[in-house]
Amino acid sequence: MKFGGTSVATLPRWQNIRELVASRRAEGARVLVVVSALTGITDALKQMCAQEDKGKRIEAAKAIAQRHYDLLDHMQLAVPDTLGARLSELAKLADEGPALLGELAWSALVQAHGELMSSALGAAFLSHSGLSTRWVDARDCLSAIALPNQNERTKLLSAMVEAKPDPALNTRLAALGDVFITQGFIARESQGRTVLLGRGGSDTSASYFGALLKAQRVEIWTDVAGMFTANPRQVPSARLLQRLDYEEAQEIASTGAKVLHPRCLSPLREPRVPLLIKDTNRPELEGTLIGPEVREHAPSVKAISARKGITLVSMESVGMWQQVGFLADVFAQFKQHGLSVDMIGSAETNVTVSLDPTENLLDSDALAALASDLAKVCRVKVIAPCAAITLVGRGMRSMLHTLSAVLAEFGQLRVHMISQSSNNLNLTFVVDENVVDELLPHLHELLITAGALRTDDSALFGPSWQALYGTGDVLPPAASWWREERRTDLLKIGAGATPRYVYHLPTVRQQARELKTLAAVDRLHYAVKANTHPAILKALAEEGFGFECVSPGELKAVMAVVPESAPLLFTPNFAPKDDYAWALTTRATLSLDSLYQLEQWGELFRGKEVVLRLDLGRGLGHHEKVRTGGSGSKFGLPVEQLDAFLRLADTHGVTVRGLHAHLGSGILDDAHWGEVYGQLASLAERIGSVTFLDIGGGLGVPSHPGEARLDIAALDKVLREVKAAYPHYKLWMEPGRYLVADAGVLITKVTQTKGKGNGQIRYLGVDTGMNSLIRPALYEAWHEIVNLTRLDEPATSLFQVVGPICESGDVLGTDRRLPEPQEGDVVLVAQAGAYGKVMSSPYNLRDEAEEIILE
Amino acid sequence: MTTNINPRLTQVFRFVRCSYADGVAELVYAFDHGEELIERVRFPNAPALPANHQAAFDQALKMLHLIAGVSYYKAGVPPRIDVVGGPLDDATANLLDELYLHGLAEFAYRNGLDLRGRIQFPRGGATQPEAKALGLPHRTLVPIGGGKDSLVAVEAIKSIGGDATAVWVGNSPLIAACAERTGLPLLNIQRELAPGLFELNRLGAWNGHIPVTAVNSVILAVAAILYGFDSIAFANERSASAATLEYEGQQVNHQWSKGYSFEQLLSDWLHQHVAADLDYCSLLRPFSELAVTRAFSKLTPYFDVFSSCNRNFKILGPKPADRWCGQCPKCHFVFLALAPFLAKPRLLSIFGRNLLDDENLAPGFDALLEYQDHKPFECVGEGAEARAAMYALSQRSEWQEDTLVARFIRDILPQLDVSELALEPWLEPSAEQRIPKRLQPALAFFA
Repeated sequence: MKFGGTSVATLPRWQNIRELVASRRAEGARVLVVVSALTGITDALKQMCAQEDKGKRIEAAKAIAQRHYDLLDHMQLAVPDTLGARLSELAKLADEGPALLGELAWSALVQAHGELMSSALGAAFLSHSGLSTRWVDARDCLSAIALPNQNERTKLLSAMVEAKPDPALNTRLAALGDVFITQGFIARESQGRTVLLGRGGSDTSASYFGALLKAQRVEIWTDVAGMFTANPRQVPSARLLQRLDYEEAQEIASTGAKVLHPRCLSPLREPRVPLLIKDTNRPELEGTLIGPEVREHAPSVKAISARKGITLVSMESVGMWQQVGFLADVFAQFKQHGLSVDMIGSAETNVTVSLDPTENLLDSDALAALASDLAKVCRVKVIAPCAAITLVGRGMRSMLHTLSAVLAEFGQLRVHMISQSSNNLNLTFVVDENVVDELLPHLHELLITAGALRTDDSALFGPSWQALYGTGDVLPPAASWWREERRTDLLKIGAGATPRYVYHLPTVRQQARELKTLAAVDRLHYAVKANTHPAILKALAEEGFGFECVSPGELKAVMAVVPESAPLLFTPNFAPKDDYAWALTTRATLSLDSLYQLEQWGELFRGKEVVLRLDLGRGLGHHEKVRTGGSGSKFGLPVEQLDAFLRLADTHGVTVRGLHAHLGSGILDDAHWGEVYGQLASLAERIGSVTFLDIGGGLGVPSHPGEARLDIAALDKVLREVKAAYPHYKLWMEPGRYLVADAGVLITKVTQTKGKGNGQIRYLGVDTGMNSLIRPALYEAWHEIVNLTRLDEPATSLFQVVGPICESGDVLGTDRRLPEPQEGDVVLVAQAGAYGKVMSSPYNLRDEAEEIILE
Repeated sequence: MTTNINPRLTQVFRFVRCSYADGVAELVYAFDHGEELIERVRFPNAPALPANHQAAFDQALKMLHLIAGVSYYKAGVPPRIDVVGGPLDDATANLLDELYLHGLAEFAYRNGLDLRGRIQFPRGGATQPEAKALGLPHRTLVPIGGGKDSLVAVEAIKSIGGDATAVWVGNSPLIAACAERTGLPLLNIQRELAPGLFELNRLGAWNGHIPVTAVNSVILAVAAILYGFDSIAFANERSASAATLEYEGQQVNHQWSKGYSFEQLLSDWLHQHVAADLDYCSLLRPFSELAVTRAFSKLTPYFDVFSSCNRNFKILGPKPADRWCGQCPKCHFVFLALAPFLAKPRLLSIFGRNLLDDENLAPGFDALLEYQDHKPFECVGEGAEARAAMYALSQRSEWQEDTLVARFIRDILPQLDVSELALEPWLEPSAEQRIPKRLQPALAFFA
């Protein structure tokens, strides 16, 4: 069991260690505890080493001793002799300075004292509290080996140990007792000098001991429960990885995970000793167990990581690469300029390599010099700043087919390089650095949706980081109103004619009221295109919403139902002139989004106040087809045409009263609206007449089980921050799907089943499909599908749920685990309240689904 | 409120009154007989004013009233200007006529107005006696703008052990972060525009660029008398004096109030009317943008806080994109000017992207190079300076394959005279400057 610096720095943490050790003893295990130095002590010792003044060194040694006395005081223990001896040795070393032993050897010995002291202290505490504990000098067990290419510095300060199982050591310890404590980070070399193991040293020590003793298990106790599917700081929904093999774990550790140093896994591989990462504060959590290859699981991507600050050097030359020694010469240049190459990608005429961000790269002429040397033999291009996004998982090549959605995402970006290692463990894409922060959470989500990251396998994947450590309240997935409350009603409806859309007004009102808690928002418009059912329009008018319409038809539908006082917004796109002319006769506020409208029809708008819809140059959303920003999208006026628009507006006496931008749909990250808001506000400052900003909608609604909901309180905080900076602008929003998606379901009935490929693939047919609900076909949208008739029966088989339309794309859901169905069973497709009925079509001339309202 | 009054149809702009009490200056203006527009400037922890500073303070405050009026005057640009207390002495009227005409030249150009002959401050008032020295303490106010220039000025003054305070007007978090990073004592003055101005904007006021550096300069002159500083060291470099374009016979310079003419006018006026020992100067005046950029390239600790981007970032984030929009001429120029002096990966890490490898930005860089376009309306270097920097990059292997550098080599360079593209001449200081003797040694920082 290994404990790090923070775990050994206070009395409560030591009490914790005592309990953990005792519990392992209770299981009958003999325990070796490996400890780091108290937090801050290694740094203090390093500083002491750098101190040339003897007096100051002695002072420093005293301060370090004091830290240990203070902790002992707290433990109400006297200074044990073992610790006393260490402290006097340290004082002696401080007094002597490096002269006698030599700079490096002295420094190694000084730094080793951190662990020597903490372990002595620990032995005293554990023994005193009733767990008889033997102190073991790690240097008597771990012998550093000499390696080629080692200089004095690496030999002494980042040594390696060859740890083969040593039964003699086992026997020797067995004779001494059951609980031992020793030091991480240190070993002894052949001449008997103390050496350090370098970065990640304490974990590595634990591994070495694990291998030497052929331990039942190595446990690394730290401040987090283990490795995650992504860096939780970038992807809060990253899932705990409960089971990994050595190679996967090593790959994840090498490409980003900080919890474990990659080098501490190799000693364990041969003796097949498993390593378990556990959270000291939350020992009940499962942790990450790393062991030999796990065969009984389907291949899955295990993690996605990103490394930033990468520089690519692309070298282009025709025909030279085949020449013997050419590449060797090229790589010799990298060596000569002190730049170390990480990844390599090659083609017939191009070799591209990646460089990690080192000081030499960032602050010296090394790269310039390298480029000018390389330019003599090939064309050189330096591409930066880049980031490497790596997918890790055993058997990566066999998973490529599941990655199509992920690859499509990369298709929209500049991918500079793709690398797939021959060990079949990783797939790396090098892209522009500035896209990574947004991309990573999105890719993580896509991997889950695509079934490449099999979070449905609960043996491999644990809870999300957000659920385990997230700040604030973890938002539980909303309970669906139909599951408990309205199941009987829905079954009754299903017994009649199907298909039917059913809308639950209390859910609409509940969502509306939730959005009204956004204190920063001055006006909310319901984007009626999501669902134009009169009952829903009326309910939202009662909640005080305005209405956003995109066509005269929508405007008429709204005006027929809502009171005169409800604000209307008309935001068409590529609409004919007549639409605008007609809308001007209504009370709706008009939105323009191109120069053409003013250039050609300017006089139509004379004296009017308008909203200008801008394209801020980037798009977001859950699918390419719902992105509404960026030059690939037809919406909005590009920002660079803003000045031209304002001049035209001035010419025609048109006043720009509001600015509007809408990035896309299904966005679950609250920071985005803050960015849009801030960007609009800074643009508005250049236009005196603007009084409000409309940041659109696109509030995401989670569809997958376990996916976190949009945090409305967090969104409010983000918006209020921007509002504080720009108090003089009113803030508008235009939610659509958020209000109604969860308020509607599609009720249909089982028609028949079919098996294909020896029954490997099973189809479940229902009486409607893409004619009623086109979102799965159009956006690859995921809708929960349940057999309402058999809601309580176990879901036993995988089905492709399909409709009766003559299109291969008429699939409502793929690979759904459902109970064995029978003809006539009522099937419910959830989250169909938005973009369901409104997007339905008479295709194949099948009857349209009627709509039923539940009050 | 001046409800339903179209500001563009007003006849008189009136400087109604100004006053100071408890750290707050109130500056009052009006159009015709409309509602008063009241601007407030807040000086934090203002000390009591020594009696012998009162006259100097009143003069500076009056000038603040007159200069800050430009923000309001431009809303209507009426034909007449009326100043409370009667006509101004000629020196004062001259300064204001010049400032309003040249400082609003870009505004006029953009709005298709001609202000020549329209701006006439009432003159003919009695000439003031020459101001005396007040024995102001030997310390300097250094305004921080968030960009590289003021940070270079700070470090130059630090390099001679000068006593300085970092000062800024307004509440930009970016500037606050930069000021903090200097390690100097801080002074944050607040300027609250009259709310009525927003109303005028709504009613269709003229809008556009105003000479904000002039307003800030005179705010600092008031501060110098109030808190006791003998010098105000701005960081406006040589190229600020160059015109952006000529329009119907008038020179239009986006940064006129950062130019040498205004520096001379205000500096002389302060010596004459406020205090003989209050110096107003630009520490960077002898230097080109490139020379300043080279000096800045050694100031690594500022790389992750500064930004010269002209987008007003009121909310800061940790990413480069939260400080650099990458689209505006300032981003383009600073990127280009720093490139010859920094390792490429370091430069790219500052901006978070490579602006010279983005073909969409070709028009922006063309404008900087004065290729097929006039110089942009921004505080950016001279075209020849940008060409020299681009030429330097075109000779460097790690840059020459980047889209816009390659395009320069292919399309633009053949039309240029290489002998005029050297970087070195730009690094030489020129003689034009009025840096006070006490601060002269700071110039060695640029050597």
